[in-house]
Parts: sequence; structure tokens; C-alpha cells
Amino acid sequence: MSRPGLAALPEGGRADFAAIRADRRRRLLDVMAAADLDVLILGRPGDIAFAAGVRPLFTSGSRPYSVGCVVVRDGGRVHVLADHDDGVPAEIAHDQIIGRSWNPRIASARTARIPGLAGARRIGSAGTSTSAATLLATLAPAAEVVDARPLVQAARATKSVAEVAVIETACSLAEAGLAAMAQELRPGVTTRRLTARYSERLGQLGVTVVPDGPVAWRAAGGLCGGLDGRPLAEGELVSLSPSVTYGGYDATLARTLVVGGSPTAATGKLRDRAVHSLSEVVTACVPGATGAELMRRWADAGEPAFAAPLAHGVGLGIEEPIIGIGLGADEVLTEGMVLAVQGIVRGVHDNAVGGWHHREMIQVTAAGPRLLTRPHPRAADAAATTTSSPGAT
Amino acid sequence: MGVMFLGRAVTGGTVNGDLIPEVPDLARMRQQRSSRLRGSMRERGVDALLLLGTGAVQYAAGAAAPIVDASRATLLRPVALVLADDPEPHLFTPHREAAKERVAADHVHPPLWVELDGQLADIATRLGRLVPGDATLAADEMPYPLRRALGDRVVAEGAPVLSAARLIKTPDELACLRAAQSINEAAMRTVQEALQPGLRQSELTGILLSEAFQLGAAGVAVDAIWQVMPERRSDGPWAFHGDVAYPTPSSDQILREGDVIWVDSGILYEGYASDFGRTWLVGRDPDENQHEHFARWVAVMQAVLDEIRPGATGGDLCRAARKADPLSAAEGGKPWLEQFYLVHGLGLDSAEMPLLGTDLGEEFDDSFVLEPGMTFELEPVIWTEGIGGYRSEDLVVVTDDAWAPLSDYTYAPYEGPGRAETAR
Repeated sequence: MSRPGLAALPEGGRADFAAIRADRRRRLLDVMAAADLDVLILGRPGDIAFAAGVRPLFTSGSRPYSVGCVVVRDGGRVHVLADHDDGVPAEIAHDQIIGRSWNPRIASARTARIPGLAGARRIGSAGTSTSAATLLATLAPAAEVVDARPLVQAARATKSVAEVAVIETACSLAEAGLAAMAQELRPGVTTRRLTARYSERLGQLGVTVVPDGPVAWRAAGGLCGGLDGRPLAEGELVSLSPSVTYGGYDATLARTLVVGGSPTAATGKLRDRAVHSLSEVVTACVPGATGAELMRRWADAGEPAFAAPLAHGVGLGIEEPIIGIGLGADEVLTEGMVLAVQGIVRGVHDNAVGGWHHREMIQVTAAGPRLLTRPHPRAADAAATTTSSPGAT
Repeated sequence: MGVMFLGRAVTGGTVNGDLIPEVPDLARMRQQRSSRLRGSMRERGVDALLLLGTGAVQYAAGAAAPIVDASRATLLRPVALVLADDPEPHLFTPHREAAKERVAADHVHPPLWVELDGQLADIATRLGRLVPGDATLAADEMPYPLRRALGDRVVAEGAPVLSAARLIKTPDELACLRAAQSINEAAMRTVQEALQPGLRQSELTGILLSEAFQLGAAGVAVDAIWQVMPERRSDGPWAFHGDVAYPTPSSDQILREGDVIWVDSGILYEGYASDFGRTWLVGRDPDENQHEHFARWVAVMQAVLDEIRPGATGGDLCRAARKADPLSAAEGGKPWLEQFYLVHGLGLDSAEMPLLGTDLGEEFDDSFVLEPGMTFELEPVIWTEGIGGYRSEDLVVVTDDAWAPLSDYTYAPYEGPGRAETAR
């Protein structure tokens, strides 16, 4: 078999994924030890990827919580549900692969063979469902089962230097896709054509997975419009929101571009508001800052709240903390977190102007927020560097 | 008249008395789904059904959210609430614009964060307003925060209520499935024309999606698979079940002349998934052995199609497939993959009930009775150690008399009775 390449980075490439996986396992075993857990059950794809490093087949949409990975603290062994060993890292031996089954009885018998599960005193489960609860009650009847979501979230939240490097590569790929769309952007083009161009470009770069919804939509259509086949008009705003999954890690950014050239006075005003308000929030992303402070920064800039997170964690998919949309006021930023921070401002002449959407990825460091995404020459952030003189607003 | 599919005459025209419309009527589809769902609730004594799964929410409220990965679809999920005595579903969503024209404006509410711990009291208050304490409540999933928010309130299993409704497709659902399949097939035509040695798997995905988005796809259901198949199982990845390892996710692997690839993909249209599966060769025509595999695959398909009619059982289909390919049995196997199934359903999820020929066992297959409106994705596999295998998939619906195809794509470069000669 040919070796998997670029998009399959966990098995090769320029990052030391074996070291990344070992570090992630250590973080997970540390939180298990601190919480006195003998066994940790994981069912959400991001959690499973964190613990096991398996390369999953992407399917869109949610799926019900079920036992997909079992970590046994004694010996630090990770058992994972899979049909075969393609995409399963070498450190997971074949006897740690639990074959999938459609039959709950067979699934239960296979899971029962995991050493250390039956005798566990305390089991953490990062999610719950009737089937998972029944399985645990059958296989480890004496165990106390606790909600392990906060522990797993804590282990995932602080990214290693190596993880951040992979995320930055993902950002570069998303930016390359953005550039391809921007080149295509002229009056008469459709959001469908822009999306097509994005897929094509990513395919050339070795990437197939776009995790974060539509990559292009008409800014007048609201927060996150669907694709359509109507030509974009001169002067219209289009939200380009490229996302990529690379080596399991996500990049997600957003830029707003004006179709066919330079912004009018009204769109320029909108752009400056967006850039200013977002930079207020980004600047506040330092260790110790709370979710409430980020929200206050946005409000103090004079912008109303919008129906999407102001900031959320990014790693193997999106992660907590989720700040904004009525959530996360008490969350505290810590060094090593990677966040997507976004702002959406709506124009006064809504239908004529639309909204300006802008999203950056940042790493929270002791020295302040570090941008992982770069400016695009035709978007708001580039404009910001040239219009930062007083009176530009 | 005279429509043929895989050498078999297509007879069935109606599904529960209706023809499948050329173009789906989305409003009618929502009404009929609502009526099926509430019927299923009444049969099971459920007054209120809370739905969390992506497919479940779409069934109740339409495709009213962006298509995203599992982490986003879970943490930031929209939630639907169906009341047995209200034909309009309630939708709690962060995507208010997307719900326009799909859900009645006074039934669209701010999101309920059932996967996050921040607003437990809010969940309890807002659900309590719509679902009285003495009403029977069921839910398809029960994450920790939702469970805590509901306190000691008893919640019944909602999954059976939903799956009973979803099993039988309405004519408009079938039209959506056919539209999704048709977009996928048209995009695959472009990919197949472009296929040549030196291309990367990811480039094929790029071509596929580029075409599919321009033809009307809303998003990706499954990352497209272009798996290079070995000639021996042991030359492929190790597999728990001992059968050939499949599917493996795509990468930037470069395809070479003579590679046999098993192609599998799914896109979404109005929430409905397509499922396209074919065996292709890179830069070469099939040899005699490969043609023979295809002929065996066709024989299995024909045998299964001949059994499909209301009243037949899943067991009938599996037995017919085994009988049609004694060579698989002689090798100790069956003409489909050990870890999967001969047949799966297709709808808002890319593999949903019924799953036939799985390790649920023959008893399950025999107890499953075919009814008009069920969709069957048939995916037999022919395998010979040392030669490799052939796998393709086609989609049919059980009609009032027998079955009708919803897929329509050539088997080239393999030669045989060919695809449906339907005039749509």
C-alpha cells in the first residue's frame, strides 16, 4: 500500500505526530490520575482523536454518543473502536482494537475483554447515552461513573508548541483556499462557484475535509447563508469563511470581501467598525482574561451581540470554552489555548450593505495574543493596516 | 414501459399509491414528515419528542442549519421539539435565518445549549413552558447537561419513535434522494473523465466537490473514498474481521496505472444523502478475471432485485445473494463485506435502517419485512484472494409492486447489462 500523504499527516509528514500523541496521552493520564479515574470512556470524535490519534473518516453532522475509545490508567493503554488498522497509530496494538459491531451483545462481549475495565472502581465518561450507560453498568457493575467532560476539556485546551504548529499549517491551507476564492471574485460569480473553486484548490493541496460549514455566502443573507446560484453584483459583500482539517486539527477563519473592487463609503465604515471592535476583543485575549471581559470589550466598542460565539476553542474540531451566545462568562483564558475569535457587524442600511464578518485564530500566550492567521490583501485586516490613522473611522 | 435496470425490467411505478414527483415539494414533504412523526408519537403514547441528532432535527424541522463536522454539530446543535397535537415543530437554533420558510416564525426560538453546562436553568424553564409536567416526554439523546436540567423528570427513549417514522419515505423524500443521487452521479461523470495515473485522491475529491457544489449540492455527507484495493487481503491493512479492510480515508496518495479503486461518496441535498459506489480502474481496462467479477456482482444484484417486493423479508434478500454466488460461499464467505451489510437504508443519514446481512444475525434479517417506501442501498462485493474484488452500489426504493431504481450510472469500464435506460 502506498503511504498516506499530506492530508494523513498523523502517520508522517513534517510534524512529529508520534511525539504529539505521546504528549496528549500523558496529559489525559495526568487528568485521570488527578481525578482518581481508573478508566476513561470517550465517544465524541475529537476526544477519541485526542486520546488515540486515529484518522477517522469524515462524516458531517452529529452522531449519538457511544463508547468509541477506552483508556485504562494502569499501563496507560488506549483501546479504540475500529474495523482495521489503517489510520490507527502503531502504538495501538491489534489487541487494543475493538472491532465494530451492529449487534449490542457482540459489542458488549468485545468491550468486556478490555483488561482493567471489569474491576474499575471509578470510570469517567465524556458524554452519556442510554446504550453507553447500560454497557458500563453491565461490564463494570461496581464502578462509580462520573461526568469526565470537564477533565477531557482541560487536557485538550492547552496546546503544545507542536500542536500549534500543525494548526498554523492548517491556517495556511485555509488561506490558500481563501486566495483561490478571492481570485475568482468578480461581478457575476456565484457563491456556488466560489465554493467549487475552494474545493478544487484544497484538493490540489492534498486536503479533503472542510469542517466548518459553507465557505462562501452573500453577506446580505445573514449570519451564515446557504449557497446559491445567483450572480453576485458589483459592490456586494461576500463572506468568505474557509476552514480546513489537517492532521486532525482545524483552522477556521473568515474575511469579508467586496465584489469587484473597493468599498463604498458605507461598506468602508462597516469594515472599520468590524476591524476596530474585533481587535479590541483580540487584544483582551491574555491569560487570566474571562469570557465576560471579552464580551464587555465587544459591547464597549459599541457593537450588539450576535448569534454566534465571540470566541471558541479550536483544536481537534471546535472545543470549549465557548464564549458569547449567552455562554462562557466565567471561562478563564489560559496560556496555550487556541481560539477562533470573530466579530459580525451589521450595517445601518442593512439590505444595501449587509454584514461584515471577520474571524481570526489566535494562540493565548504570556506575551499576549499571537495571530495564527494572516491578513488578506483585499479584506478588512489589510485595510486596517492602511487606515489606522486617526479619523479613519 | 420497457425501462430496464441491470437487465431487469422495472415495473413498479407507485409508492403507497403515489408517483415520485420530478421535483420535491418541500412544504408538502415537511407536512407529511410531521404527520408521520406525530402518528408514531401517538402510537407510542408520547406527547412531546425532543430531538437532538442532526438527522432527527432535519426530519422534524427541515435542513435548517449549516453542514458542519461532528464537533460543531454536537456542541452548537439546534434542537427540535415536536408536540403530538401541534403540526408545527419548535426549533431552538442559533441559525434563525436558515430556519426561514422552513419553520413557522413563532416556533423558532433562541438556541437551547443542551451539550453545555452554562444554562441549565434556562433549558428547564423554556422546555417547561412548552411541555407540561404531566406530559410524556421522549428524547433521542440525553447528554449530561440536558439530563441535569431536566432534574428527576422521566424521559422515554425517543429513537424508536423517530426510526419508525423515518423508515418509510414519502414521495417528496424520495425525490430529494433521487436529486441528491443525480447530482452525485453527474459530478462523478466529470471525475471519471478526468481519472488518470498521477492524480491524487484529494484532487479527485476536489473535482467531485467542485462539480457537486455547482450542480446544487448543499454539502458533503461523507469524505469521498478512492481506495486503492489490493489483490490479497493481507496486502491491505490488517482487519479485525479478517475481510478486506474498507473503507480507508483519502489522502494525497497518488494513483498509478492499473490501480483498482473502490469509489464511494455522498453529498447532501435538502438534508438527504446520496451514496455513490463504483469500482474503477486507473488508466487501464479490466482483464478477464475482473470482467468475471463484475458478471458475478451483476448476478447477485439481479437475484436480490428479483426478491424485492412488499412482504419479502431481509432474510430473503440475503439468501438470494448467497445463492447467486456459490463461489463466495465456497471460499467460506458471502458476497458482501463481513463488517458491513448487503443492504442499508438511505435518507437523512447516509446509512440508516434497515441494515440487512449484518452481525445482528439471520433472525433479525428474517424478521424484517419489506414495505413500500423503504430505500435500499445494495452493495454486494465479489472477492477472490489473489485477484482482488469488485464492489458497486445502487439505490432502489420498494414500490407497491416491486422496486424502482433511484440511481442511474454506468458501470464502465466493466461491460455488462449496463445501467438503467430510464428516460427521466
